[in-house]
Parts: sequence; structure tokens; C-alpha cells
Amino acid sequence: MSSLDRALLVAARDLFAERAQPDGLAAALTFTGMVILLESLAFGPGRAREADVASGVFWIAVLFAAVLISARSFDRDLEDDAIDAVIAMPGGRDALYAGKVVALGVILLIVAAAAGLFSIFLLDLQIALPAHLLLVALAGIIALPPVIVTTSVIALRVRARFAVVPILSFPMLVPQLVAATQGAAAALTGDGPAALAWAGLLASFTLVYGVLGLTIVPAAIE
Amino acid sequence: MIKTTTAPFPTIRLRPWLGITATAAAILASWMGLVWAPTDAVQGDVYRVIYVHVPTAWLAYLAFVIVFLASIGWLWTRRPWFDALAVASAEVGVVFTGLFIVAGSIWAKPTWGVWWTWDPRLVTTAIMFLMYLGYLLLRSLSTDFERRATRAAVLGVIAVVDIPIVHLSVLWMNSVHQLPTVARIGAGPALDAQMGMTLGVSVIAFTLVYFALLVERMELERRRQTRVLEQRS
Repeated sequence: MSSLDRALLVAARDLFAERAQPDGLAAALTFTGMVILLESLAFGPGRAREADVASGVFWIAVLFAAVLISARSFDRDLEDDAIDAVIAMPGGRDALYAGKVVALGVILLIVAAAAGLFSIFLLDLQIALPAHLLLVALAGIIALPPVIVTTSVIALRVRARFAVVPILSFPMLVPQLVAATQGAAAALTGDGPAALAWAGLLASFTLVYGVLGLTIVPAAIE
Repeated sequence: MIKTTTAPFPTIRLRPWLGITATAAAILASWMGLVWAPTDAVQGDVYRVIYVHVPTAWLAYLAFVIVFLASIGWLWTRRPWFDALAVASAEVGVVFTGLFIVAGSIWAKPTWGVWWTWDPRLVTTAIMFLMYLGYLLLRSLSTDFERRATRAAVLGVIAVVDIPIVHLSVLWMNSVHQLPTVARIGAGPALDAQMGMTLGVSVIAFTLVYFALLVERMELERRRQTRVLEQRS
């Protein structure tokens, strides 16, 4: 079995577990929906519709949702000791990291699609460049899992883990947050070159943290 | 497997000399910065904050690069010496990053009219500060020696990505922060010779203070490691 097969196996296992008991997904969907609803109350309907405010709130909600989903995924593995079985297989640590990244990415795509549609519907957002928005959203979402899974692994079996993961990951994710927010706002307002530039930055960010994660994070898995 | 050692670190032999040299250099740098260096024609005496701000900025970077190198050293060799170096450098680095931000803020009030502004350099520096506070928090929450060292090392390697972002943020984004004055690409320093010399001496003095603090903190860590490893064996 190749490394890729093992990683996909871990990802499939995670996704099947989430389908059987979708508490991570349900919590993330509820949370993002609630944040978007609260946004219009906090900023007022006029301000909430502004491209930079709407995209900023959307990405902050997705960021927290990613932490929720990842926490639930690792909790599930710790509860039934499945993590020990995965680590025990040859190349298990690499497979665990890569598999978790893939699974989190897939679940986040679902959450972001639902939250995005909800934002567009609720805030009556006008999208000037839909294809650009889709590209930025996709680049922004795949940039999250390498960092979130990295910090989740580092904080595994640490006291106050739920506080530690956001404290460690959010500072690292600032470039992602800035690029995704600015890119989405640019796509909403019709600035195509800016949206593409931000999407490029997001791709570079994913590459850097993906390579770093695959290289050294498995060493921290116990 | 962890390579245990309770022998003193080689750098510890330098301890007394480092402390004395750092103190002498700090006194000299203070005199040069406060008395010898001329007053700036535009900013007046306020500019003298650079003799603290620039060296602390340099040390913030240096400290976290040393955390990065020590983290790689730990992951590669599992020698406790590297972990002690990493934690010592991170703690001293957090202190210098805090001073870096405070000194910048003191300069910003009379120059920009505000203590703090949402400028890329300021924000990215604050993020770097928070990141290394998180690093120290992670260390404080782990109990097992080897696990703590490994987790912290992984974070120490990953967090270093933020350093170029902080340094280059003034070039990449619209910033009110001034562009580099000394390390300018393709040009010499835009600084009076006397000011430049004072800045050079300040950088050396602060660097010596950093190494003196680093060695003291490493000695404390060595004692703690010795205790932990003796309890385990």
C-alpha cells in the first residue's frame, strides 16, 4: 500500500465516521450560520452587505468551524483509541496527518458552500465575478487544513487543548485570513486581477504549510 | 530515544565574562545614544528611540531564528541541550519583542500622533509576539519532557515562516512604517556616520545582553532537565 493509499484510507475513515455521526459537521454548520445571522445584527443590514465585511465575517466563521471539525475528529480518534491503531501501521504518522488534512478539507468545502450560499441569500450579495469568487473560496479553504491539523497534532493530549489550538493556529493563519478576505471582496466588487493575485498567495501559503506539515508534523504525533 | 546528559553546557563557561562585557557594552551604548550621537534635524531627540528599537527588532528575529535552529537540532538529535537553547531563546525573544513593540510605540506617539496604528509591520510584529507566547504556553501545558520538547520543536520550525512576513511587510503592503534605513537593497545606509556608529554599538551591546540572558536561562533549564532526568532514571 502506497503512502497516498494510506492517507486516502485515513481520510475515507474520517469521512465515513463523520457521515455516521455528523456531530462535527452539524456543529460547524450551526456555528457558521449563527455567525452570519449575528453579523447583520452587529453591523446593521447596510454595513453587513459591504463586500469586505461580509467576506471577513464569512472567513472568520469558517476558521472557527475548521477548529471545531478538527477537534471533533481528533476527539473521536482518542475516544476509541483508533489513533493508536493508525499510528501503529507502517507510515501511519504521515498517513494520519495527510488523511486528516484531506478529510478536513472535504468537510470544510461542505460547510463553506452552505455558509457561502446562506450569506449570499441572507445578505443579498451581488457577485460581480462568480468564477473568481469560487477560485478564491477554494484556495482559501484548502489553505486552512494544513495549519489547523498541524496545531491539533501539536496540542494532542495537552491540557486545555480547545484553547491551545486557536491560540497557536490563528496567528499562523493571518496571511490566509487577509488573502481570503481581500480576494473574496475583490471578486464581489469586480476586481479580477486582485482576486487572482490573492488566490495565488493562498496557493503559495498552502504549499509552504503543506510541505512543512508533511515534513515535520508526523514527528510530533504520539 | 532521548540522549540524556547532565553535564554543564559548554557555553556556561562564558557566563561571567558575557555578563560583564554585556553590562560594559550597554553602558557605552547608552552614553553614545543619549549624549554622543547628534540630535536629528527633523525628529529632534525622539529619534534616539531607534537605539533601542532597532537592536530589539534585530534580536526578536535572531531569537526566533535560534529557536528554529535549536528545534531542528532537537528533532534531529534528541539532545536536551537543543531544547534548553530553544526555550531560553524563545523566552528572551519574547521579552525583546515586547520591548521592540513598546519602543516603537513610544516613538510613534510624538511622530505619528498615536501609540498604535493598524500598520502591517506593527500588526505582523504583534502576531509574531503572540505566536511565541503560544509557543511558551504550549510548553507550560505539556508535562512529559520529551513530548513537550518535540511538540515545541515542531511549532518552533513552523512559526519561523512568520519572520520574513514581518520583515518584508513594509515592502509588500502599504505601510506608514518607514522603509529599511540601514539594510537597504542596492544602496548604502541612509544614516549619519555618528548615528550609524551609535546604532552599531547599540546592536552589539543588545546582542551581548541577549547572549548573557540566554546563557543564564539555559543554565536554569539545565538544572531543571537534570532534575527531571534523574527522577526518570
